[in-house]
Amino acid sequence: MNGSFMSGDPMSTVLFLTVALPGAGFLLLALSWLAGWEPPEKLVARVTGLIYTVAALCVLTGAWLMHAAQLPSLHADYGDWFRVGDYAFKFELYFDGVSLPLLGLTTVLTGLVAAFSRTYMHREPGFLRFFVLLHLFGFGATLGFAAGSFDLLVGGWELVGLSSVLLISYFFERPGPVTNALRVFATYRSADVGLLVGIFALHHFRHSAALPALDAHTLDPNQATIVGLLLLLAAMGKAAQIPFSGWLPRAMEGPTPSSAIFYGAISVHLGAYLLLRARPLLESSPVALGAVALVGLATALHGVFVGRVCPDAKTSLAYAAVTQLGLIFFEIAMGWTTLALLHILGHSTIRTLQFLRAPSMLHEYHRIHAASGGQVEAGGLSIEGILPFGLRRRLYWFAVDRAHLDRLLDSVAVRPLARLSAWLVRVEEQLTGGPAPAARAVVSAQSASPSAAAREEVDVLHD
Amino acid sequence: MKTAAHHADHGLAHTVEHLAHLLPAQGPIGVFIHHNTLHAFQHLPFDEAVQEAARLYGNEPYMTEAAYRRDFDRGRITAEDLDVVLGWEPDAEIVPFLLDRRALRRAVLLAPPALDDAAEISWWLAEGGVAPQRRHLFETCRRLFTVPQSADRNEADGPATPAAVRAVVDPLIIRLCGAFLDQGVAYWPMPDRQLGFLAAVRSLFETTRMVEPLPGLAAEMARQRRHQWTAIQTVEEMLRRLDIDVARQEQFLRQELLALGGWAGMFYRLQEEPYLAPHERVPCSLMEYLAVRLTLVAFAPRTSSAEVGQPEAMAERTALVNTTALFTAAEALGYGVADLEAFSRENRERFCREVLSFHPVERRRVWHIAYEYHHERDVLRPIAERLRGNRRRPVSGTPKAQVFFCIDEREESIRRHLEELDPQVETLGAAGFFGVAMDYAGIDDPHGVSLCPVVVKPQHAIREQPVAEHADLHERRRALRRLWSQFAQGAVKSSRTLWLGWISTAILGLFSMFPLLIRILAPRRYGQLMARLNDLFLPEPRTEVTLMRNDEHGHHLNEGLVLGFTVAEKVERVASVLAPAGLRTRFSRLVVVLGHGSTSLNNPHESAHDCGACGGRRGGPNARLFAAMANHPEVRLALRDRGIMIPADTWFVGGYHDTSSDEIDLYDLEAMPRAHDAELAELRATLDRARAANAHERARRFESADGAAGPKQGLEHVEGVWPLHQRRLRCRPARTDARAVSRPPLLSGVLRPWRRYARPVPDAPDVGRGAGLRGHQPGILLLLCGQPTLWLRHQAAAQHHGPGGRDGRPFQRSPHRTAVADGGDS
Repeated sequence: MNGSFMSGDPMSTVLFLTVALPGAGFLLLALSWLAGWEPPEKLVARVTGLIYTVAALCVLTGAWLMHAAQLPSLHADYGDWFRVGDYAFKFELYFDGVSLPLLGLTTVLTGLVAAFSRTYMHREPGFLRFFVLLHLFGFGATLGFAAGSFDLLVGGWELVGLSSVLLISYFFERPGPVTNALRVFATYRSADVGLLVGIFALHHFRHSAALPALDAHTLDPNQATIVGLLLLLAAMGKAAQIPFSGWLPRAMEGPTPSSAIFYGAISVHLGAYLLLRARPLLESSPVALGAVALVGLATALHGVFVGRVCPDAKTSLAYAAVTQLGLIFFEIAMGWTTLALLHILGHSTIRTLQFLRAPSMLHEYHRIHAASGGQVEAGGLSIEGILPFGLRRRLYWFAVDRAHLDRLLDSVAVRPLARLSAWLVRVEEQLTGGPAPAARAVVSAQSASPSAAAREEVDVLHD
Repeated sequence: MKTAAHHADHGLAHTVEHLAHLLPAQGPIGVFIHHNTLHAFQHLPFDEAVQEAARLYGNEPYMTEAAYRRDFDRGRITAEDLDVVLGWEPDAEIVPFLLDRRALRRAVLLAPPALDDAAEISWWLAEGGVAPQRRHLFETCRRLFTVPQSADRNEADGPATPAAVRAVVDPLIIRLCGAFLDQGVAYWPMPDRQLGFLAAVRSLFETTRMVEPLPGLAAEMARQRRHQWTAIQTVEEMLRRLDIDVARQEQFLRQELLALGGWAGMFYRLQEEPYLAPHERVPCSLMEYLAVRLTLVAFAPRTSSAEVGQPEAMAERTALVNTTALFTAAEALGYGVADLEAFSRENRERFCREVLSFHPVERRRVWHIAYEYHHERDVLRPIAERLRGNRRRPVSGTPKAQVFFCIDEREESIRRHLEELDPQVETLGAAGFFGVAMDYAGIDDPHGVSLCPVVVKPQHAIREQPVAEHADLHERRRALRRLWSQFAQGAVKSSRTLWLGWISTAILGLFSMFPLLIRILAPRRYGQLMARLNDLFLPEPRTEVTLMRNDEHGHHLNEGLVLGFTVAEKVERVASVLAPAGLRTRFSRLVVVLGHGSTSLNNPHESAHDCGACGGRRGGPNARLFAAMANHPEVRLALRDRGIMIPADTWFVGGYHDTSSDEIDLYDLEAMPRAHDAELAELRATLDRARAANAHERARRFESADGAAGPKQGLEHVEGVWPLHQRRLRCRPARTDARAVSRPPLLSGVLRPWRRYARPVPDAPDVGRGAGLRGHQPGILLLLCGQPTLWLRHQAAAQHHGPGGRDGRPFQRSPHRTAVADGGDS
C-alpha cells in the first residue's frame, strides 16, 4: 500500500530534515560569508559534520519508521510553493526503496568527503567557498533524490550542476579550470534542455509530472518515446555518456575531494537515477529503451578503451567511472533495476575511495612494485591484441584522442554555434547601429572553448 | 654541399644543446628534491640574473611592490634603508637646482604606487571620483609630456607563435608526451615507443583513414618516414617551412622549448640520465621532441583574425600608463600644475625620461636591496661583531654521548631539545649520507637505488640480507608480500575493466565503505591496525648488510658496481665524517648516527621531504652502514694513522629519525657489547624525551593539534599517523629567521634560538664567499641540502667582509638564493 501523508507526522518530518539540513548548512555558511564573517575552519568543519551525521541518522530513522509501518513508499506533501491557474507547484517528497538508499549514500559520502576536506583543504584560500559549495551540492543532491515530482527534481538537478561547475573552477586564478568549467557548464546546459522540454511534454501529455503516478499506461508509445528520449538526453549529459563524455576528464580540474563526491559518486549517478525514475514510462517505448541500452553499451566500450591509454591517475579513474555508468544505463534498459541500484551504490563507494586515494597512487604503485619483487607487468594487450597492427595503432590513437568526441562536438556544435552568435551580433549591430558588448562576450566565450579545449592534462596532476 | 649541411646540423644541435640549459633540470618526481629555477643564470650578477630569467620565462623578478610596502609598514624596511641604497647608485641632476635623481626616486618609492594597468586607469579616471585639481594635474601631464607609445620590453623577442596555434598544439603534444613517457599507469603503452618519440608519433599518425588531429599531418608524417629524416633534419625542414631564418632561429627555438618547459625538460633530463626513469626506460631525445613539436606547429591551422588587438590601441594603453607614472611622480614630489608648466622644454624631457626609467622592475630592485641591507644591519652585523671577539674557544671534556644528525634544517629543533634536556649529550652535524655513497637494496626492495647526493654516482653496492637463522622467515615474508602485491594489483585493475569491473563495483563495491569510514574518520586506528597486521603476518627478519670486501676486486654486480667496501675505502669514509666534525680524540662511549627521512601517504612530492643528501631517499641505511664501519676493528686501527683515535670502549650505533612522525629507530643493537646497555638505555630515554619535546614544538604550530598541551600530546599528534587526507606533510621545521655557518662555539650565546644546526666548517681560514666550501666535499653538500645560499652568504658576510662590507655594499650577492633574505618559515 502506498502512503500519502500531509506534513506533520513524525515520518515525513524526519525525512524532510534530510533535505532541509544541508540546505540550512548552505544558508548558514553562505549568509555569514555574505555578511563578511569568515567562520573559523574548525567551526565550519564541526557544523558540517553535525549536519551530515544528523541527516544520515534521519534517513535511517525514516527508513526504519517506514519499515515498521510497513509502508513500501511514502509520498509527503508539504504544501504548494506557488500556484498559477490550474497548476500548482507542489513541494512534495517521495521516499521509496530507490530514493532512500541513495539519500543514505549521499549524506554518508558527503559527510565523509567533508571530513576528508577539513584537513585536505586546510588553509586553502577558498576553504569556506569549498564548504559553501559542498553544502549547496548536498542540498541539491538530496532534493534531487527525494523529489516527489520531476518539477522539483529539476531544482536539485540544477543545483548539483551549478555547484559542480563552480567547484571545477575552484582555482579560478588559473585559466585552465575556468575554461574547462565553462565547457562543462555548456555541456550541462545543452543536455538539460532535454530535461526541461521532457517535463513540459509530460505536463502537456499527462498534466502532471509527479513521480508516484507515473506508469506505463498514462502515455501512448509515441508520447513515451518523445519524453523518454528527452529525459535520456538529460541523463546522458549528467552521466557523461557518449557523446558528452569529454567533459568528465575536464572536470578533474577541481580539488580532489570534489572530484570524488561529484564525478566518482553522486553527481554522475544522478543521470542514472533519472532513468530509474522514468523507467515505468520507458517501458512502453521500445525505441527509448533501445536507445538507452545502445548509449550505455557504447559508452561502456568507449570508457574501457580510453581508460586503458590514460597515463594519469584521475583521468583513468574518470573513464573507469564512465565504463560502469554505461553498464548501469544498460542494466536499466534491460529492466534489472535492483541490480542497477546496487551497482550505483557500490560504484559510488568504491570510486569515492579511489578518487580520495588518487594522490597517493605513486606511493601505492611503488609499494606494489617492491612487494612483487620488481615484477609488475607494465600492461599488455588483451582484446585489441587480436587486431592487425595497423588497425591497432588506429584504435590506439582513437583512444588517446578520446574517441574524437570533443573534435566531433566542436565541429558539429560549438563552432556552428559560435558562428551563429557572431552572425547575430552583426545583425544586432546593424539594427541598433552600435556594438553589443554583452553579445560580444558570448561570442568570445564560445570561441574560447574549443581552442583552449583539452588543456585539462596540464593541471590534472595538480591535485 | 654535404659539409655545409653538416655544419648547419652541427650549429642547430649546438643551439638546442645550449637552449636545453634553460629548461628545468629536475628529474622524475621520485628523485625530486628541489629545483633551482635560476640555475641557467648563475654566472650573472643577481639582479641581471633575475631580470633576464623573468624576461625569458615570463615570471616575476622580485616580490610585488605591495609586498615590499607591507614590509615597509611593519618596519622591516625603513626610509633610511632606501636612502642608503639610493646613495650607492650614481646620482644625476634632472632639473638644475631643483630636482636630482635620488630625491625623485625617494619620493616615488615612498608615495603610493602608480597604477600600471591601462584598464584600471581608465576606470579610475571615469569612475574613481578624482578630485578636480588632481584631474587637472593629470591632464597637464598628458598635455605637457610626450611619452613614448611603445612598450620596448619584449620587442627583441620578435613575434611569438600565435596563441591560437599554441592552443591547438599544446594539448595535443601533452597527450602524446604523456603517453610516451608513461611509467606504467596506462595499461596499454604507446605502440613503437621503444623506437623513440619521433618514430612513435610518425607511426601513430602516418596511417591514412584516421581522424587527423591537424589537417595534412598524416601525409607529412608519411613523407618524413619515406625520406627517413632524422630528428635534426626534421627540425631544419620545419624551420624552413615555417619561414624562420637563421637570425631568428635561436629565439624561435627557445620559445618553442619553453612553451612547455616541463615536458621538454623531462625529455632532456631523461636523454642525459635515462636511469632516472623509475620503471620504464624509453629512449628520450630533446631533438626528437622538438621535431615533433615543430611539425605540429607547422601544420596547426593559422587563423587569420588579429591576435591581441590593433597596434593603435596598444600604443594608447602604453601612453596612458606612462602618463600616469608621470602624474604620480609629480604628485609625490608635490608639484602643481604651475610647477610643471614652469619647466623648460629640455627639463621636461629629462624629467619624463627619468621618471619612466624608474619603472616598476627598477623600483622593486631598489626595494629589494634595501630589504637585504636592513637585514644585514640588524642581524648579520651583530653576529659578525660577536664572532670577532669570540674566536676559538676551546672545547673540553668528553660528553656522555654524541649524536650525529643530518644538517637538514628539520633536524635543528630536535638537536636543540636534546642538548637542552641533557647538556652532557653533544650533537653533531654531517650531511645525511654520512660519506657512504652506495647503491643500496634492502630486503624488501626489488633493486638497488642510489643513496647519495644526486650528483654522485655510487660505485659500491650494498645489499641487506637476512641473517642465516632468519632465512626461512624472510622467504615466508617474501612469498606473502608477493601474494599481497598480486591481490593489490588485481584490485587496482579490476575496477577499471569491463567485466571484472562490473562484478567488483556492483557486488563488492559497497564493501569499500569500511576502509573509507575507518581511513577518514579514524586514521590513527587504521594505522595501528595496519601495523598490527604487519607484525602478525609479516614479521621482519633480522638482517645484516653485505659490507665486507677484503680483496680489491670483489664481486662485480651489474652496471659496474662493486659489492661492499674495502678496509681502506671504509677508513676514507669514516674519516670524511669524523674529521670535519672535529671529532678526533674525545669520543664518548656511545656515538649514535641518525639518518633521516619522512613518511607521508597522499603526497607525490614525498621524496622532496626525505634526505636531500641521500638523493631524496631515506638515510637510515647510510647511518647503519657508517656505524658498522666505524665499529670495525681494522678500520679503527687504520684511522689511528690519520690521528683519529677511537677508544676501544666506544660503540657506534646507526639509526633513523622520521621527521614527520618523530620516531627514532636504532639498528643492530644485538651486536653492541652488553657493557653499553645502561648508557644506551639512558640515552634512549633522553632521545624519547627529546623527540616528544620536538613533536610538541611542531604540533603547537598545527591548527589541528589544538595547541597540543604537552610533549605527550604532541607526540600523539604526529606519531604513526599518516592520514589519507594529510596533503601537506607535518614536517614544519622550526622557524628560522637567519642561519649561519660557523664553528659551533662561535655562535653560542649570540641569540638563544641561534643554536647551531649546520655542520661545523673545516678549520681552514680561507672560508669565504663560498669558495673555500665549494672546493671541499662538504661544500658540494651544502649546495645540495636545500637553502644552500643563505649559508654561503652569511658565511661570506660574517667572515670575509666583516661589518660594513668592503665597498659599502651589503655582501657578495649570489644569484642563486632565495629571494628574501629574512624569510619566515622555510
